Amino acid sequence: MRNILSQLLLLLITSLLLTACALAPPAPVDEPAAAAPSADGEKIIYLGAAVSETGKFSREGKDTRQGYGLWLDWVNNEYGGIKVGDDRYKIELIMYDDEGDPDTAARLVEKLINEDRVDFLLGPYSSFLTQSASAIAEKYDKIMIEGNGAAEPLFERGFQNLFAVLTPAGNYTRSALQMLAAKGARTVVIAYEDTAFPTSVANGAQHWAAEYGLEVLGVETYPVNVADVSGIMSKFKELDPDIFVGGGHFNDAVLFIRAAKELDFNPKAMVITVGPSNPKLIEEVGVDTEYVIGPTQWEASMSYADDYLGTAAEYAARYEDLWGEPPTYQAAESTATALALHIAIEQAASLDTDAVRAALRSLDVVTFYGPINFDEKGRNAGKPMGAIQIQDGEILVVAPSNAAVAELNYPAPPWKDR
Amino acid sequence: MDQLLQALVSGLLLGGFYSVMVLGFSVIWGVMGVINLAHGEFLMIGAYMAWGLFRFFGMDPFASLVLILPLMFLIGYLLQIVLINRVVERPHLMTLLVTFGLSIAIANLFKIQFTSDPRNVAVAYNGSVQLAGVTFPIVKTIIFGVALFIMVCLHLFLQRTRLGKSIRAAAQNKTAARIVGVDINRVYAITAGICIALTAAAGAMLSPTQAIFPFMGPPFTLKAVTITALGGLGRIPGALMGGMVLGVTEIFVSTYVPGIGTNLGVATSFILLVLILVVRPQGLMGGLRPIDAEAE
Amino acid sequence: MGTGPPASRIAQKAKKKPPFPFFAPVYSLLAGWTGLAFWLLLLLLLALYPYTGVSSVALFVGSQIFVLVTLASNWNLIGGMTGYVDFGHAVFFGIGAYIMGILVTGTPLLISPEWGFWQALPASGFAAALFALLVGLPTLRLKGPYFSIAMLGTLVAMREIARVLRPITGGGVGLNLPPLLNRLGDYYLMLAVMGLVVSLIWWIQRSEFGQSLIAIREDEIGAEMRGINTTLHKITAFMIAAFFTGIVGGFWAWQNTYIDPDVVFVEARTVEMVMMSMLGGLGTVWGPPLGAVVIYFLQDLLWGNLSGVHLLPLGLLLVVIVLFMPEGILGTLGDRSSTSLGRLLSRVGRSR
Repeated sequence: MRNILSQLLLLLITSLLLTACALAPPAPVDEPAAAAPSADGEKIIYLGAAVSETGKFSREGKDTRQGYGLWLDWVNNEYGGIKVGDDRYKIELIMYDDEGDPDTAARLVEKLINEDRVDFLLGPYSSFLTQSASAIAEKYDKIMIEGNGAAEPLFERGFQNLFAVLTPAGNYTRSALQMLAAKGARTVVIAYEDTAFPTSVANGAQHWAAEYGLEVLGVETYPVNVADVSGIMSKFKELDPDIFVGGGHFNDAVLFIRAAKELDFNPKAMVITVGPSNPKLIEEVGVDTEYVIGPTQWEASMSYADDYLGTAAEYAARYEDLWGEPPTYQAAESTATALALHIAIEQAASLDTDAVRAALRSLDVVTFYGPINFDEKGRNAGKPMGAIQIQDGEILVVAPSNAAVAELNYPAPPWKDR
Repeated sequence: MDQLLQALVSGLLLGGFYSVMVLGFSVIWGVMGVINLAHGEFLMIGAYMAWGLFRFFGMDPFASLVLILPLMFLIGYLLQIVLINRVVERPHLMTLLVTFGLSIAIANLFKIQFTSDPRNVAVAYNGSVQLAGVTFPIVKTIIFGVALFIMVCLHLFLQRTRLGKSIRAAAQNKTAARIVGVDINRVYAITAGICIALTAAAGAMLSPTQAIFPFMGPPFTLKAVTITALGGLGRIPGALMGGMVLGVTEIFVSTYVPGIGTNLGVATSFILLVLILVVRPQGLMGGLRPIDAEAE
Repeated sequence: MGTGPPASRIAQKAKKKPPFPFFAPVYSLLAGWTGLAFWLLLLLLLALYPYTGVSSVALFVGSQIFVLVTLASNWNLIGGMTGYVDFGHAVFFGIGAYIMGILVTGTPLLISPEWGFWQALPASGFAAALFALLVGLPTLRLKGPYFSIAMLGTLVAMREIARVLRPITGGGVGLNLPPLLNRLGDYYLMLAVMGLVVSLIWWIQRSEFGQSLIAIREDEIGAEMRGINTTLHKITAFMIAAFFTGIVGGFWAWQNTYIDPDVVFVEARTVEMVMMSMLGGLGTVWGPPLGAVVIYFLQDLLWGNLSGVHLLPLGLLLVVIVLFMPEGILGTLGDRSSTSLGRLLSRVGRSR
């Protein structure tokens, strides 16, 4: 023990040295980004994105990557580059795999900004990863435009550089509830996963239910990765509501439908987020998905169009040509994200962050994806949410009325009469 | 009253599934002292097998048990011979890490092979029947029946057959079993084969009731730990009781606590786990193996 | 009647057998004062590193590595030196992160004014240490796997509790911290914390306290009979490990600017700590830091070249480490005949 004093002394000296170093910190080398001309004199805009290729968001991440990829392919090869004033700029998109891990995502966004020196950032997949990525973009004053993070807390942080083309989560159930109220529904119950995105959906659902004169009989939460929701469903069965609203992810849609049938819980309409608009749900769950209603950001059958990628149907055909599968709405919103940035740059006629930000703020266009018009928080206030219903094994748009291809079937018959 | 009865029935049915789900985990732990952290992944493999057989050959998930049980027995047997027998004598950290490494590898292998898209087995009879004012989900009731049947079979096997007796002997006193001529490695391999087959069977039966995806395993592993802590190691009546207690608790909490009931139900099971381990580490029913066997 | 903890054989063998021939000089250099001297020199070099004009990415990577080294060393104190394999150590990380989150956002506890980072950081550590005291008193009585499982249960239970306590923790929605990032400051902060923790472990191992911990690992009942207050020693080690893990958790919350139950109370983080300690050498001072660095770059390498399947080789690697070099890099190099890889290496060494 005699050495303790000298050991402590050594430690003290080291920490003093370290403090001394920390007190006179050199500034990290951070040069301004520059859209430098490449070797053959071609002008290039660099875009960067960290999108999951592996990890828990690998499937949606793939849609996001393909959505960005479609725009990139089109803008470079067909459109001939973004017009900035009199110049044409080719696009180079640097994409990394964030593995669905916030540490990795943060490191990659830092790398995109400070080593790859990209001019603008496109968003990752999921609200969760957008949380940390957007904070870094804000710190370095880089514009991040995204189409895959809809949770409301993202837009409550006062960020100047975050823009989202998708309808915010609070509005997800709006058109469905409005339509059901008009059809005579009176009561509603809500179950949602207690993470950021479903919570925003559920808060929105309560708001719109009150707005359209629906009485909320019960609200229940459940944790992620829940294995059984029969507790919630048997409670709701006692309440006998007209509408069931379920906010969660794909797996939860399976659980809700299974539990409702098992417990003979018969709401006149089931509105479930995320799952129903994915054809995989019908494939896996089968006929029990009939009558299920789901909000959708976008469907290929909607009647929107623009001067760049044409109509929604033309976009879908182009996507299928390029990637060999029909686009999901995650893919479409990713393409729309890049397209919104494209239009803003052309309107600003500049690559300067402030000018492009101003152009994004005042952007008011209709694209194949729907209207894009950002509010002061960076959300797309202009776009209504669509609704689909599964009818005869097909996903058909029932709202908004200008894009609808089918009439809403209400009420759904009880399970035993199907 | 109706709601109470319904909650009780739902809880017991869930408990029946939990009991059969935990058997393999509990027996492996009880017999060889290995905490199998890849338990949930074997369940997942069983679920995927049932899905594949249903999707491509139209085979009913309960009928497919006839194929899944022997195949998974073989896999378990080989895995034990090749891998686990090498570490079973080592400190418990080693077996924990090997099985954990396996769980990561298996889950990611399935992700590469089947993508992370959720799957489900849509059997035609997934409705319900009404009996005395209580709703009985058909699939879960069948699972309950099969679970009880499996448990009785396993119990008889362990109590009545020569092989079952040598397994119990190996669990109680390895050295003595070896002296009287039990081939410990072979007994371990057979135990692992049976346990992994049972786990996969539980997964196959689960396939019509929930979504199947590569990363579904870990929550089941954790629940298996809780149930084992409740019921004691390697005991079939213990697994039954532990499963029932957890199932009924989860359903009751989620039925009677408004708003956050389901969240709280999940939390209860883990709080229960810590409390039981602290207060009564040998489980509520006592164990097959003395609690301080580790100390030998 | 040993409790059969993982590292017991390592230490005994390391004492009895001669170290691996060509590694022996390095190994013995690492053992004592020279090891610390090397460490301090390394810290000094790392402190000067930002002066070479590196980008903020390098600083960020640096601070991430320092975080891993700190976590691995902390886990090693309770898991490697004391022999209590803590499978839920990330719970202290989570507690630290949440204390930071709750204090700096002020809401929803309505603390006004909100705390600053520098006030909240020690609070994170102390809260984690306090929690370690509460949890450790009952759970440290458990032996072997029962302790491991109880801690794993604690971790998962805390995750669910954080979800349920929505008014305080924000529930599953999580908390958004003010985005005041400072990569350079982070770098020096974590460098200092890492330097302190590893030096502390070095000192503990040489002190009477550390010897008592090792005695507990080797033979707890024997240690008690020789008059060591085992409960006090175990709890102290547990609280120290928890304190610094809590500090790291608080720092991480600040740096990530966003926390929710699934991102801070996550089993994978414990596994990371265990894996890094195992790979480097359980119960050694320099093993866990070495393991942390190796794992970080290995993950990076796999991510770069095997994107899409990189977790598969990582899982298999874990199995391989346990099967062929259970004593880690330092253990294997320092003790040639204990493992198959050690034997192989030693044959190569002799033929030179």
